[in-house]
Amino acid sequence: MSSPDTNLDEVSEGHEPVADPARDAIVASLADQLGDGLVASEVLAGTDVWVRVTTDSWLATATVLRDTCGMAYFNFLSAIDWMPSPFGRDMDAQVDLVGADESQVDPEPMTWGVTGGATRFQMIARVHDPVCHIGVTVKADLDADDPRVDSWMPVYPGADWHEREAWEMFGITIVGHPNLVNLYLPSQFEGNPLRKDYPLLARRVKPWPGIVDVEAMPGDGDGDAADEGGEGS
Amino acid sequence: MTDVSNRNQLAYIAAQASDARVNVEFETEGMTLNLGPQHPATHGTLRVIVKLDGERVLRADPMMGYMHRGYEKLAEVRTYPQVTTLVNRIDWLGSFANEVPFILAAERLMEVEAPPRAQWIRTILFELSRIANVILFLGDMGVQLGAVTPVFFAFRDREFVLNQIEAVTGGRFHPNFDRIGGLKDDIPKGWTEETTGVLGRIRTFCDEMEDLVTGNEIFQARPRGIGVIPAEVGLAYGLSGANIRGSGVDWDLRRDGGVGLAHDQVDWKVWTHPDGDSFSRYWVRLQEVREACGIIEQLLGGIPSGPVMAKVPRIIKVPAGEAYVETENPLGVMGYYVVSKGDLVPFRVKIRSASFSNISITPWVLEGAYVPDVVSILASLYFILGDIDR
Amino acid sequence: MGLVENGKMPKPLTALLNISRKYSLWVYQWGLACCAMEMGAAFASPRYDVMRLGVIPFPASPRQADMVVISGTVTDKMAPVVRRLYEQMPEPKYVISMGSCAHCGGPYWDSYSVTKGVDQIVPVDVYVPGCPPRPEALLEGIVLLQERIASEDMTDRWTRDPIVVS
Repeated sequence: MSSPDTNLDEVSEGHEPVADPARDAIVASLADQLGDGLVASEVLAGTDVWVRVTTDSWLATATVLRDTCGMAYFNFLSAIDWMPSPFGRDMDAQVDLVGADESQVDPEPMTWGVTGGATRFQMIARVHDPVCHIGVTVKADLDADDPRVDSWMPVYPGADWHEREAWEMFGITIVGHPNLVNLYLPSQFEGNPLRKDYPLLARRVKPWPGIVDVEAMPGDGDGDAADEGGEGS
Repeated sequence: MTDVSNRNQLAYIAAQASDARVNVEFETEGMTLNLGPQHPATHGTLRVIVKLDGERVLRADPMMGYMHRGYEKLAEVRTYPQVTTLVNRIDWLGSFANEVPFILAAERLMEVEAPPRAQWIRTILFELSRIANVILFLGDMGVQLGAVTPVFFAFRDREFVLNQIEAVTGGRFHPNFDRIGGLKDDIPKGWTEETTGVLGRIRTFCDEMEDLVTGNEIFQARPRGIGVIPAEVGLAYGLSGANIRGSGVDWDLRRDGGVGLAHDQVDWKVWTHPDGDSFSRYWVRLQEVREACGIIEQLLGGIPSGPVMAKVPRIIKVPAGEAYVETENPLGVMGYYVVSKGDLVPFRVKIRSASFSNISITPWVLEGAYVPDVVSILASLYFILGDIDR
Repeated sequence: MGLVENGKMPKPLTALLNISRKYSLWVYQWGLACCAMEMGAAFASPRYDVMRLGVIPFPASPRQADMVVISGTVTDKMAPVVRRLYEQMPEPKYVISMGSCAHCGGPYWDSYSVTKGVDQIVPVDVYVPGCPPRPEALLEGIVLLQERIASEDMTDRWTRDPIVVS
């Protein structure tokens, strides 16, 4: 059992890649049991571990994590839409993007985070070991046109509502979920709000009011154009 | 009044209560009871559809979303400093605690660390918001079982805690005080002495609760043995905080999480209770308020000197990366999975809020319960609607 | 109360009824979000003690209420329920909109699920701004409403501008 204090020390002593046997062992046992199902993994020594698995071995991963690695605690389950927003970056923009011919704008290339990705949608889930205090983040790429994935409910019953949320917010079909109905939104709501191409209509009809704050302060000659981010300083 | 330490007497009362529940099986017609969305027992706008067979619950379906405000989408169009304003309002009773894990996640991505003084003050405010949150639960638990007085006591003493938070942050309710790299400001002069006085009041409040509620015969009889959650079920459903510690799991992120707060600098204890019923969850929370008082008192005595803000750029752009940081918030484990692409705004923020997972066990735990117990089981799980619906 | 509504009552009788209504406002607590806690502090805490103003915060149902405090974010899912509760209240009835969210959406002005202003659904008599407003601000709003009730003439009940606490 590794105490969190020693973990912290490992991080603060230096940024050298430190050995992290506990987390490496999790990756090793996943690689052992899943075989080709494990696509990529990354260990941030003393802090965190990410693994990326294939869609087919999504449920198997949960079983291995619970039964072999002792991850009894279900933390959360969600999804990420990696497509850059077609509406531009609202907060960066100095002009409102309404009316801009969106087809003219070159779409930004898709980039992925830790352990990479291949498609637009990615499942993400996290489980935790309440004894050794180690959490694992699991990811799986989903088909961009028809995202579907197995339900984790047979392994972690707590995944129920999280999967309903993912279905509602991203339009991801959860195979084997008994009760895929709206969790948050009224039943007549259309669209999947957390998809990047779902517009926030209030922003489309009215520019972000914070933009007017970027005028130079009096006496601040070289007014920085992007001052709206400086609120926190 | 019952002597709390007398196990035999308590066992007798519990046995009486359970005997009263044993009833002859009659042919009954099913009935659907609709609690909420506006019901005093639901702390806001949770709606629970309960299918009954006589007095027994066959099936309970919580319906949420009446408070869904779209935090995760809105966080994608707000700069990092603006997100704290938003997330303040998730768990509105312990607002400051909501900011902390988000700020810590952003700090991990930016590879900055708050100066020690900021960490200590952060921890003090974190624990103060825990007190502000949980003492309202202690009062409210009494209300759900028919005792109205405790909630007045709770509101009375909560004001003093809010005053102290306001004195530092300027915000009575939503402080928005935490910054990436430290805190907005230092604590005012004389604040530590005043806070020590307030902690005395809170301790008295806890003693009053012990006398008034915990020692009450009805309270001893009713929440015991109902809503029992075994540890492994609780873990699989993602329960956290006092709910899982009430089931005997010795797990507290303040001790085990190892994130940048000063809890490891002081001497305190994680309370657990083996029973896993409604009473044990109440009892663990009561002890945690006392423990929080102790933590704050020790921290107040040794706040290190120095700046409260590390060097961070004026315009905060968080480097690309992903970080998940969770802390032990008043309601349980709260975490933020922050995905950054190096912009002013986060690319994706997944908010793992405690109440959402805590309340997801209700269909399981309410099945087979009796109607009068539904409200007290829900109350003992303790949820804030903003924390469920986000 | 048809006579009152038509403004056909003798003046002294109207004044008497107004005073009676002013000091026995039964208020239904429609707590939706963060503001509900500040409303709770104003109504239930010994420090603010709303009952000294003649406001009774304990009706069991909106059918017994004269006034409702809508405190917090009204979502699109909640909006029909708010409307239905308002319609259940007997006339004359008053609505206090508490907090930025209830006025206009507040910090969630661009959200996909939040109703931008409860005044789209029910007529509002008093706006208490803040996020959340302090309990004192809510009490101020109630006092201002009571002043208006004291001099109220039912014939121009719907022609007045709402009060904005500032």
